Amino acid sequence: MVVTGAGKRTYRIVRAFAVVAGSLVLFGSGANVASAEDGLSIIASVQNQTVDAGVSQKQPVAGVTITVTTPAGSIIGTGVTDVAGLISFPIPARDNYVVTLDIATLPNGFTMIDSAKSVSIVNKDDFTTTVKRATFFTGSSNTSSQTLFNRMIQRGADGLRLGLVIAMCAVGLSLIFGTTGLTNFAHGEMVTFGGLMAFLLNVTMGIPLLISAPVVVALGGLFGLALNVFIFGKLRRRGVGLISQLVVSVGLSIVLRNMFLYQFGGRTKPLNDYSQQTVMRLGPTSITPRDLTTAILSLLVLVAVALFIQKSRTGKAIRAVSDNPTLASSTGIDTQRIIRIVWFAGGALAALGGIFRGLDEQVGFEMGSRLVFLMFAAITLGGLGSAFGALVGGVLVGIFVEMASLVVPSELKNVPALLILIIVLIVRPQGILGRKQRVG
Amino acid sequence: MDWINIIQNTCKALTGVDAAYFALAAIGLNVQFGYTGLLNFGQAAFMACGAYGIGMTSKYFGIGMWWGIPIGMGFVIVLALLVGIPTLRLRADYLAIVTIALAEMVRLIVRSVRFKQYFGGSDGINGFSLHFRELSPFDPGAQYGIRPFQYSGYTVWTLLIGWALVAIFATLVFMLMRSPWGRVIKAIREDEDAVRSLGKSVYSYKMQSLIIGGLIGMFSGVIFALDRGSVQPDNYSRDVTFYILTALVLGGVAKVSGSIVGSMLFWGIFVFSDNFLRELTKDGPLKIFGVTVMQKIQVGAINYMLIGVGLMLLMTFRPQGIFGNRKEMALDAR
Repeated sequence: MVVTGAGKRTYRIVRAFAVVAGSLVLFGSGANVASAEDGLSIIASVQNQTVDAGVSQKQPVAGVTITVTTPAGSIIGTGVTDVAGLISFPIPARDNYVVTLDIATLPNGFTMIDSAKSVSIVNKDDFTTTVKRATFFTGSSNTSSQTLFNRMIQRGADGLRLGLVIAMCAVGLSLIFGTTGLTNFAHGEMVTFGGLMAFLLNVTMGIPLLISAPVVVALGGLFGLALNVFIFGKLRRRGVGLISQLVVSVGLSIVLRNMFLYQFGGRTKPLNDYSQQTVMRLGPTSITPRDLTTAILSLLVLVAVALFIQKSRTGKAIRAVSDNPTLASSTGIDTQRIIRIVWFAGGALAALGGIFRGLDEQVGFEMGSRLVFLMFAAITLGGLGSAFGALVGGVLVGIFVEMASLVVPSELKNVPALLILIIVLIVRPQGILGRKQRVG
Repeated sequence: MDWINIIQNTCKALTGVDAAYFALAAIGLNVQFGYTGLLNFGQAAFMACGAYGIGMTSKYFGIGMWWGIPIGMGFVIVLALLVGIPTLRLRADYLAIVTIALAEMVRLIVRSVRFKQYFGGSDGINGFSLHFRELSPFDPGAQYGIRPFQYSGYTVWTLLIGWALVAIFATLVFMLMRSPWGRVIKAIREDEDAVRSLGKSVYSYKMQSLIIGGLIGMFSGVIFALDRGSVQPDNYSRDVTFYILTALVLGGVAKVSGSIVGSMLFWGIFVFSDNFLRELTKDGPLKIFGVTVMQKIQVGAINYMLIGVGLMLLMTFRPQGIFGNRKEMALDAR
């Protein structure tokens, strides 16, 4: 290789990194972290919770007196919640505090779920950002009245919903692996990108979600394409090995996650539209219209993806490249074009998954990286590199994880997914739909 | 801008406790990643084994703190078998996926409310290094060393033990890699099939490498826990492994000196940029042409972003790091 050529290429790659990084900063959610270190505060929130067949509804409670004291008992502030059920207390330093709700000031008909929970302890270490939330719940809980069978049905339905989103995000991960051999550890950040873009358009700019969602999906696709064009495509052309590319994707995920944190801040925030929902009954389960809609949409998208891969010319080409890139390119398939399509599609699907996830829970800088592990479990279960494997694996992992939360505490509900990984790798390492390979 | 303070902190970080425990973890990771080609992305979990071993024995079991080390070793071996048995026969990236999952699961379990009675939940286990500090021959109130390398008595004691362990394990690994065992290990990295055809059990050698690297990583967790006198679950998040990996690649993979110098440089650079950015934002947000670029609370995010960028650039342009030999970066034997 000519030295000057190498130098130029080096320069180009550095510039490419800079372009991707720069565009992200520009793109990034405008909702900047507003409060500086001196904006330390505790926000108390009082919510009335009604639980109907496992789905909880929350309504803010106004006019409740809240007091913040130090552990020693000296009063920092006292006040009454507003219409949104919120009251904010500025505090002098990151320290331990006690937030107390005055039960006598609850409006008529409201009671605490658990009277012991009218006091909330805020620890010094809880301040991951400058604002710490203390939430109080009123209303009676009737979860215990449900039978095990009903809870299983409900968990199964929730799991199906989660599984569809996992499948949607994992298809891209699996296809990228199939066509390029890259295990993309930054795929979770592509999901986060979708969620944060939706927040930018829907909340910061106030564009209705129905209009902004397609834009976000397109942006997600372009984001995936940009990662390929500016980073992984260049690495492939330089002949950087797959394991090195994997480590680069790890670095990329660190960069992106912290970029999101930098732009968006550490707190999770809800999207504007469809955040208030009433539960409706659907057979033995209850579900909000929003969740039902996203579940149906995910299903439609996944069927469309499956049909596309199975029937269309491009889809066949994708499968051919996954199967054997050299052979595919010798039959005249433009493999680089196929790889670009796969990255675009993967980014778009991940962004859509991010929007749905943001609707279901909230939007935050870590929303994708929490999901990435389930996505890996899904594609390992389904078979690395197989699109259909990712669909099947995603749904199964989602259902398994939610069902497992009947047995294990919900804080540990992702742990059984590790069990899936280990058992699958022992019993059938190629996954459900993967091809058997000769391995040591 | 307080340059003297920045430079002083940077120098202290070069030989500080953080660099020592990173060096230990990096030596362990080097055995796995550098010499054997195993993608262990869960080194943080092995570190947690050591830290929790020490913490749990001194706090809950009522036996001497030093029993924590054999107990931590037990944890390491169990975890290594758990991830090794299913994945070491498969392609390299399976181990990466499973170890990263394992590290996350270990963190979730130790910080869970369910197991709070054993692991202390999200608060971790605190205040147990008294016994260790009583052994210290140094006066805790005094300052030792010459400026800028000046540390308090407690820290000097931890530093002494920490760097002694670094020296011991560095020598051990250096000798191991010159032994017949080490030659087999390096041959596995170069060409697994060739080694198998010579009648060696690749699977068993890989498992030994995983366990040895994990055990060295465990001592890193021990030193970290002794220094802080506490074990916090969130100190063992999956990103810690990636920072150690960055330090390792910076110094040079498959070189014992690389993991030590890499860790020192990593902390030097990290502390320098952290101090520098904090000085920049000390008197309000940093503005360029009137646009707010950085606020004080964003310094951490920017710093970690730089680590990620560093890892990406190193892997792309100089995967052998500072001291490494490019021929020894045969990371792509799949």
